[in-house]
Amino acid sequence: MLRESSKTTGENYDLTVLTGRTGDGNIRHGALLVAFADAVLGSDDARLAGIRSEIRTKVGDAALIDAAAIVATFNAIDRVADSTGIQIEESKAEATADFRTALGINAFAENRGEITDPRSRIAPTR
Amino acid sequence: MISYEESRLPVRADIVQAHNVAWGRLARAGSWLDGKTRVAIAAETRHAPQCELCRRRKEALSPYSIAGQHDSLGTLPERIVEQIHRIVSDPGRLTRKWFDGVIAFGTSDVEYVEIVGVIATVVSIDTFCRAIGMPPSALPDPMPGEPHRRRPRTAHQRGEAWVPMIHPKDLEGDLDTEEEKALAKYWGGVLANIRRALSLVPEEAYAWFQLVETQYLPGKWMRDFSQEFRAITHAQIELIAGRVSVLNQCFY
Repeated sequence: MLRESSKTTGENYDLTVLTGRTGDGNIRHGALLVAFADAVLGSDDARLAGIRSEIRTKVGDAALIDAAAIVATFNAIDRVADSTGIQIEESKAEATADFRTALGINAFAENRGEITDPRSRIAPTR
Repeated sequence: MISYEESRLPVRADIVQAHNVAWGRLARAGSWLDGKTRVAIAAETRHAPQCELCRRRKEALSPYSIAGQHDSLGTLPERIVEQIHRIVSDPGRLTRKWFDGVIAFGTSDVEYVEIVGVIATVVSIDTFCRAIGMPPSALPDPMPGEPHRRRPRTAHQRGEAWVPMIHPKDLEGDLDTEEEKALAKYWGGVLANIRRALSLVPEEAYAWFQLVETQYLPGKWMRDFSQEFRAITHAQIELIAGRVSVLNQCFY
């Protein structure tokens, strides 16, 4: 969706911020929001409190709530996807093949013995 | 009842309402599990991060190389504890072989899916609390009642997932159950697999996505890049979503 957003709006978002590259990724407050996601899923409460405070100051209270709701959604939806073993849809596989390779995201599926592209229909090895 | 008033943050009313609806569902009989079991699953979901076996497995090169017994609350069978703890602690390394093992130990596929729905609800709402600096809400007291145990005949295994799922085309004809009828009305059209993931238990699929659409975006807003619907932009939303999925090593 981030890539779709990037294409539609004509912005050139840097998706490598998703996998650890520092910076905003050409998204306003990008580094702060990535740090927020990291802190919520991490265990350093003091760091989380500091980032929360920074978001309230720089982006606003309503933004903090909406950002919290997104972290909450995806921290759970990832578990639904992984525990039910759903495959990526063929259309999505085709549209995302290049950046999945570039960002190393295919390794997440390969480590589970799953195929990364349903179009290949190669029997999984495990 | 869930309240965020003490946070002194402007938590949207629709989020508060959705959380209370989801919390209420935890306490009531579901499709295959009674309220007592569902609340016990919720409690075990919260307890899983304290499990020493899960900690050692998480650190291991392969979680399947570490044997042992989970530190559990002792209210659920070990096969259910294993399902809960692995999904909570190390979801990115679950495999089809592990899933087959859980089923082989006696959890039916419909129970498995309903348990996933309960875990997802608790993880999501507890994560929200942590994110805004609130302690987790008290779990609800179980309500009496029996599950209806109606399996949708429209759910099939097509090799798209480990669990059988309903395809939107399956819902075009005459339907047996109220749950399938509700899903047919709600869905309509081609759906991403993530929306279908829990459809073997239609009520869980429906309820889970009511919560998702409130916290994230309804489907029609997701791809409407011409305007913004939240206090953060589409790009900021998807940046956070993508980062969380990378941290969870979620390929999907």
